[in-house]
Parts: sequence; structure tokens; C-alpha cells
Amino acid sequence: MSYLSLENVVKTFNKTEVVKKLSLDIQKGELVSFLGPSGCGKTTTLNMIAGFLEVDGGKIEVDGKPVHLLPPNKREMGMVFQNYALFPHMTVFDNVAYGLKLRKVPKSEISKRVFEALEMVRLAGYEKRYPKELSGGQQQRVSLARALVIKPKVLLLDEPLSNLDAKLRQEMREEIVDIQKQVGITTIFVTHDQEEALAISDRIAVMYEGRIEQVDDPASIYNHPKTDFVSQFIGEVNHIQGKVLETYENKKCKLHFFGNEQIVSVPSVKNSEVHFFIRPEKIQIALAGSNERNEAFQTRVERKMFLGAKTRYILKVHDRHLIADISNTVLNPTEIKEGNSVYTYWNPEDLLPSRMAR
Amino acid sequence: MSRKLPKYFFNFVCLLVYIFLLAPIVVVLLSSLTTTEYIVFPPEGLTLRWYTELIEHPEFMQSFTLSIIVAFGTAIIATAIGTLASLAVVRRQFKGKTAIVQLVGSPLLIPSVVFGVALLQFYSWIGLAASPLALILGHIILTVPFVMRLVVASLVGFDRSIEQAALNLGAGPMKVFFHITLPIIKSGVIAGAIFAFITSFDDLTVALFIVSTDVVTLPVRIYTYMQYQYDPIITSVSSIMILFTVVLMLIIERVLGVGKVFSSKN
Repeated sequence: MSYLSLENVVKTFNKTEVVKKLSLDIQKGELVSFLGPSGCGKTTTLNMIAGFLEVDGGKIEVDGKPVHLLPPNKREMGMVFQNYALFPHMTVFDNVAYGLKLRKVPKSEISKRVFEALEMVRLAGYEKRYPKELSGGQQQRVSLARALVIKPKVLLLDEPLSNLDAKLRQEMREEIVDIQKQVGITTIFVTHDQEEALAISDRIAVMYEGRIEQVDDPASIYNHPKTDFVSQFIGEVNHIQGKVLETYENKKCKLHFFGNEQIVSVPSVKNSEVHFFIRPEKIQIALAGSNERNEAFQTRVERKMFLGAKTRYILKVHDRHLIADISNTVLNPTEIKEGNSVYTYWNPEDLLPSRMAR
Repeated sequence: MSRKLPKYFFNFVCLLVYIFLLAPIVVVLLSSLTTTEYIVFPPEGLTLRWYTELIEHPEFMQSFTLSIIVAFGTAIIATAIGTLASLAVVRRQFKGKTAIVQLVGSPLLIPSVVFGVALLQFYSWIGLAASPLALILGHIILTVPFVMRLVVASLVGFDRSIEQAALNLGAGPMKVFFHITLPIIKSGVIAGAIFAFITSFDDLTVALFIVSTDVVTLPVRIYTYMQYQYDPIITSVSSIMILFTVVLMLIIERVLGVGKVFSSKN
């Protein structure tokens, strides 16, 4: 039995459906990310869950009870906003205490719970400050404390880290996950940052044009994308085509890539060409003469970019470009120069079949 | 344009501006202390005689009280209307919004004499006699545009997710307004109220058309008195008006900080 469930939720703005019959079940205590490009409907969906937008169809249930007709102030959800949305005229203490005051919690308990919440976000001692006297990261922590102190049924995070700088963003996301696990609260995390989503989520719902393309755990999303959109949106991909030479039973076929033959399993073959995606880190290269493999084909190194732990090679083959990321511990980048010919190969299992033009 | 003017030049210009602004007030204040039977500056001798003589003119005191009542009523009602109208104008999309904005702003464009004549016509048509209420109604029309200017300015750039945050924490719409929205736009609202109060307290042109023999605001009283007599009582009443405004400002400064009220928020 899922704790938070969306069933055929629809939202229409000016006759355009921005959320199209979206359904999703979230378990209690789970952290689910809504990941997608801007305009995919992820924030709209979050706002419908929070009650800031009315649903135009479908229903939303929390713990078996429908909530989509309740006003936002009756939904018992804690929300953390992208721009923190702290009350500028109240101190940190009053910001966090606000929800408790509305609930008529006795004063002594309010201060106890506010202190606990501030301690949890490591901001004890900041009670008397005003929001403008805090850094972005601290403001976001106050915002988190304010949302959690009321013990909401669901925690909603709307791109909470996008206004922070890179380093702080990483720290904060770990902190958010720690707190989320510690409290055990069902959480929805909206983000357009795939790395963030991959790092923190129990499951990711990849959204595109008002639909959920795939819901899965991060590894499955990355390694077994179910749609072309997911393949291309998560991580980077090279797009390659293979000519079908022979088809076998058990969904395998012999394909011809760049003057080289390989047997690959393919869900179904209808045309004479099959399209694949392959991630840059799944492409491997070797200097000509060394370690030659049957399935390797020759490419020319057009550019080489040192990226710290890895090096990115732009390879040219038959007027096509392939991007390969190779760990510097596997291949010393000084051994390969721009203009060199190299052998290029991959494992057939690493090819992600595309639904394009099949 | 990077060449800076010397600091003392800047100070000097400021000084000139202040003198220009404050000199008439100083002249009025000082000439109210003259011992002569006529208004003269600089005053000849010093006396508070013209202030004590006011006691023999209770009509000034009556007018003063009336003016305060009218200004106070105007400020409260115009601020309430102006604030709510600003919220509607800034946040809602509705048919005829531009028309309403223009209409509300029109008293700023119409000469107050014309407005006074129009009010006179209208009041006699609906049979509304001269009364504090009639004055307040007229002044509300006159002052709502000021309030709206100031409140709209403080609402522009207002981050509405702050209100959403309060809703999310369980506050109903009324609580959101009084706990969150109003405190945040407070400076604009108070500035609007002060403008409304002073505009009403100060108004001569419009009031001239509405007053009757027993309902006379202070500016009208001063004006009519001057037509027949020109003695230092006028300056002493004017001085009291000035001092009253100064005291009012000081109180607001003490309670809220005028600097804060008139500067943009935060």
C-alpha cells in the first residue's frame, strides 16, 4: 500500500495540458526525485501535491485519504522552496515556530521543538538572527527546519539547492538525505540536476512533457533507460547506428558498425538499421598495435581534454564523432596524442537500444 | 564623468536646498512671536500673546479638531481601500483592470478646483450636506491614488512563495495576510497612511467647496479669517499646525522609524 499516490493527475494551463494523466505511487519513508528539463511539469506536479494549484483531473491521496480537494493549509505537508521563502520580518526562531504557533502548541513545547529542529540542521545559536543575516545555505537549513518541525506527512523540496554554489550544494544534499533518513519522512525532491537526483534518490521519476518517462532506482535509470528521452537526458550518450547483417533467434543479431561486426541482443528488429546509445565511459580505446581485438575499429583522435580523473577523447570515424571518457588510471593520457589512430571498442551489453527509427 | 565634485560643494548645495525648503516655516514660526498688531518679519520683540489670544477664538480649536477627525478617518479608510485595491491590481488579472487603474489614478491628474466643483455638484444632487462624512468621502477619493502608488511600489517584487510557505505551514488566507503580507508591505502602507493624513489635513481647495458655516476645516478657517483680518493669530495657528505635524512625524519616527517607512523596504 503506497503512502502518497497520484492517480491520473491532470493540469491544464490555457488549454495546454502541462501534466498529462500522471500516476505515481510513493512508499512511506521513500525519497523520490522528480527529474526533468524545465517545463516538464515537475514543479507543477509538486504544486498540485502541496495544494497551490488545483488538479484538473485525477486524484491525490495521502495515507489512503484523498487530499486534492483540501486547501494547502489543511494538507499537512512541509515544503522547502527554491528561494527559501523565509519570513523576512521574523527571526529564525519565529520562522521555525510559526507552524507550531498556528497549531496552538503550548509555548514550552514550541521552544523545545524549535531548538531540536535547529539542532538537527546544525543552526543552534542562530535563533535571534533575521533571515537576511544568514548565508544562502543557512537560510535553506532554516527553511528545512521550519518545514520539518510541524512533523508533516510529506516533505516537498522544490529545487532546494539550485541557488547554492557547487560545493555547498553537495554538502547540503548529503545533509538533506541524512535528515530525511533520520526522520524517515516521505519526501519528494524536485530537481533538474541529474547528478543530484542520482546521488540522493531512492527512486527517480524522470519527467518529460507532462509525463513520467520512467520511475526506477538511480542505477536502473542510468544503466537501463527505458525510453530514448531517459537515455539522452541522464548522463551523456553517443548515438550510433548499426546495419543489420543477420538476425538470429533469442533476439540477437549480427550488426555492422564502422566496418566491424558485432553480435548484439536487440529487443526487436524491423528495419535494416538499428540505433543505439552508448555512454562515453563505456567506450574504450587502445593504441594501435597493442591489445588488438576482433571487434575493434580504427578511429582518429581529434581532440583530447584532460578532466582530472579522466580524459575525454573526441574520436572521428567515417565522418562521425564519438566521445570517449577514459579513466586516467586505465590509460595514461600522455601516451595518446591528437591525430593518433586508436582502436576503439565496447562491450555489446553496454549498448542501449534506441526506439528511434526501428 | 569620474571626476568627483568636492564634498563641501555637495554639502553646500544641500544646505541651500534645506534653506529654501525650511525658510518659510521659520518665517511663520518666528513672526508668530511678534509684539506688533500686524504680521512682520523679523518679529519685533517676543511674546506668546498671539497663542493666548487663540483662547478667545474657539472656532480655531473646533476647526482643528474637525480637521484631525477628518484626516484620521480619511487616512484609515483610504489606506484600507488603497491597500486592498493595490493587491487586486498587482496580483489579479481581470477585465477592465487598466480602466480601473486609470480611474483610480485620475484624481492625481484632475485639478483639485475642478474636483471640488464636481463634488459640490454631486453632493447637492444626492442631497449630502456638509459634514465630516462628506469631507472624508471627498478626501478618500483624493488620497487613494497616493496610497496605491506607495503600496503598489512595495508589492512589486514581493515574493509570493513567502505567502505559500505560510499557507503550507497551516495558516488560512486571513492569517497569511495579517501575519505575513501586511507586515512585509508595512512600510508602503504606513507611508500611504501618512500621505493620506497630511493631504487631508492640508487640503484647502476641495474643502472650500464642501464646508458650511458650522463645518469648517482648519485650512479653510485660516483662509477665511485672513480675508478679513491679517493679524499674527494666523501665524500662531499656522505654527500650531506645523508643530502638530512635526510631533506626529516624531511619534511615527519613534514607533516605526520614518526613514524606514519612506525608504524602500529592507
